[in-house]
Amino acid sequence: MTSTLTLDRVTYRYDGAKKDVLRGISAAFEPGKVYTVVGKSGSGKSTLLSLIAGLDVAGGGQILHDGEDLRTLDRDAYRARRIGVIFQGFNLLTTATAVQNIVLSMNISGSRVKHKKEHAYELLARVGIDRETAGRPVLKLSGGEQQRVGIARALSHDPRIIIADEPTGNLDQATEDEILRILTGLAHDEGRCVIVVTHSRRVTAVADEVLGITAGRLGTVKGARGPRKPAVSTTHQDRG
Amino acid sequence: MYILHNALANVWRHKGRNALLGAIILVVIAASVIALMISSTATSIIDDYKERFSAEVTFVPDMEKVREEAMAGSTDGMVRMTMPTIDADQYLAFGESEHLADADFTAATGVVPEDLTPVAADLGGGSGMMTMGGGGGSTFESEPMSFTASLQGDKFTEFDDGSRALADGELPDADGEALVSTELAELNDLAVGDTIHLDGELRNVDEGSLEPIEYEVTVVGTYDDLTDEYGTSPQQNAFTNRRNEILTTYDTVLENYVSGMQGMQVAATFYLQDPDLLEAFTQEVRAEGLPDVFDVTTDSATYNAIVGPVEGLKSVSVTFMIVVLVFGGVIIALLSSIAIRERKYEIGVLRAMGMKKSAVGVGLWSEILAVTAACLLLGLGVGSLVAQPVTDMLLADQIQAAEEATAAAEEQGSGGGMGMRMGPMGGANQADPDAEPLSALAVALTPGTVGQIGGVALGLATLAGLVSLGRITRYEPIKILSERN
Repeated sequence: MTSTLTLDRVTYRYDGAKKDVLRGISAAFEPGKVYTVVGKSGSGKSTLLSLIAGLDVAGGGQILHDGEDLRTLDRDAYRARRIGVIFQGFNLLTTATAVQNIVLSMNISGSRVKHKKEHAYELLARVGIDRETAGRPVLKLSGGEQQRVGIARALSHDPRIIIADEPTGNLDQATEDEILRILTGLAHDEGRCVIVVTHSRRVTAVADEVLGITAGRLGTVKGARGPRKPAVSTTHQDRG
Repeated sequence: MYILHNALANVWRHKGRNALLGAIILVVIAASVIALMISSTATSIIDDYKERFSAEVTFVPDMEKVREEAMAGSTDGMVRMTMPTIDADQYLAFGESEHLADADFTAATGVVPEDLTPVAADLGGGSGMMTMGGGGGSTFESEPMSFTASLQGDKFTEFDDGSRALADGELPDADGEALVSTELAELNDLAVGDTIHLDGELRNVDEGSLEPIEYEVTVVGTYDDLTDEYGTSPQQNAFTNRRNEILTTYDTVLENYVSGMQGMQVAATFYLQDPDLLEAFTQEVRAEGLPDVFDVTTDSATYNAIVGPVEGLKSVSVTFMIVVLVFGGVIIALLSSIAIRERKYEIGVLRAMGMKKSAVGVGLWSEILAVTAACLLLGLGVGSLVAQPVTDMLLADQIQAAEEATAAAEEQGSGGGMGMRMGPMGGANQADPDAEPLSALAVALTPGTVGQIGGVALGLATLAGLVSLGRITRYEPIKILSERN
């Protein structure tokens, strides 16, 4: 199967740091699968996600989306149209309503959907947000509801890649299960590529591939019960 | 379009912050409305006064200098004082000045009407020359003519103030037409259509020669004369009797003018484009040959007495507006900067969603523009309502200040006594006692003022927008969101 997203010897160093936090990371991500990236705090998981999301730029190597190097792309347009990002802190416009958040995202992406508000309600319904809740300001929603709005927003421009940074980090177990059901559905039922950075074993349990970052290097972790130190730097394709 | 829509929604979402910003903008706009309304109305009034009243310039002979020159030139012990004149060529040259808005020319010459008996004939005629001191005789080869009447060119001002009025016929229009007083007409049985022959002479003082001149004018009307019979003239004779003034056109009088010869008085009233140009105009006419014995004056004192308070009011309003704009601008810039800092997270979210910096900036600018537009409408209303009472109050203060200044100046003047310089007519540059300062100023909101206020509002919104844009360019979404998380 063709990779949707490919990392090729990606490196990154924080401003003022002496060592790279990411050291030549290579990986390929396919559609229809759920990937989790695990690692200790400060290992560079979220940084890797920021690079994939186009929120930051790699120091070396390449990140290829459908064969195009992110460096050559308009990263604003990339974030707006090609990728959906779900944040641990939700990062919604708190004074706007749930549905307004979704419609605004569609507008930014230049979506050609005719009835954007109706489409936004549909997206919210898919993640379990009814119309009444959708019309309330985000600040008045619970954490689980806000994360559902975040997922709906990530889907608003119909991206092929969804990336999520600790999407269940602030949620209770029941809500976490519900969110995971939605995320796995996006991959397995709709054929999207879902990449999740997480500490949660419940999340890694549902992943098709679990990748671990240790000492700035990425490796495949056997099984789905938690991160292990990778023996070698490799990608899931190498296993094959 | 969605940016504008989102911006308008944000105006309501951030209503507290926008209300604060709007209040400042409203104060600045309302103050600007008042100041600009006062300023534009004051400007139009000042311009109007400058155009029709204040810029009149006259050349007044300084009799002290005339006497000194006459005494200095005397060789035989007799002081012969001749009223200095400015020849027509000079007047015409002065009239070419680029500092002038307009010029009114008049001319006069002494004449002897043939076959007519002048009014007050028993008092004899006059020569128009003043002689002081004793002894000596004429320096001319023959005795100068004794005039019994005068031919006046374009001197119709008394018809405007009502001291003279047309009794019959019409005012002279074409050259060769003339108007005579009813007394002179009745005395000589003159009627409209009659022709009068006038003799006169020009004098070459240097050579002591006399040059006879002649006029033939047709009576086209008569006038009733209520002026003082001898006006301000110290001599009383037929020549100085104003009932013997034959009124005609300027060009008719000038038809016998010979450059360098005396005996014909040409005068002009020049109107400067601006009273402040008096010094420049004076330098120009001096360069053209205006003798030093003439003072160049303008009724600036009257102008200041009348328009001074309005100018003061304009100055106060403009200064007030500048202060308000500067302080208001600083406060708006600070508020905008603080507002953007508080909305940093929102900007980070929008940027993370893929919104470009420019689009975020346009959105924020649109928000401020919407707030400013609302403030503009409100400010125009509030400013219009408040402008008149504020104007009345400020103008009253200005008038009081002007009156106090005038009183203080008069007090100083009366105390100085001998030090006060007087012109020949009793003080050329003193305020006309009848000059009443403008006591009311009806301010109005003109389209031009609305345009200026619109410019001020747009400037304020742009300032706030630029501050916002300046901050946005320093924000990277990853940093904003990671700081928050």
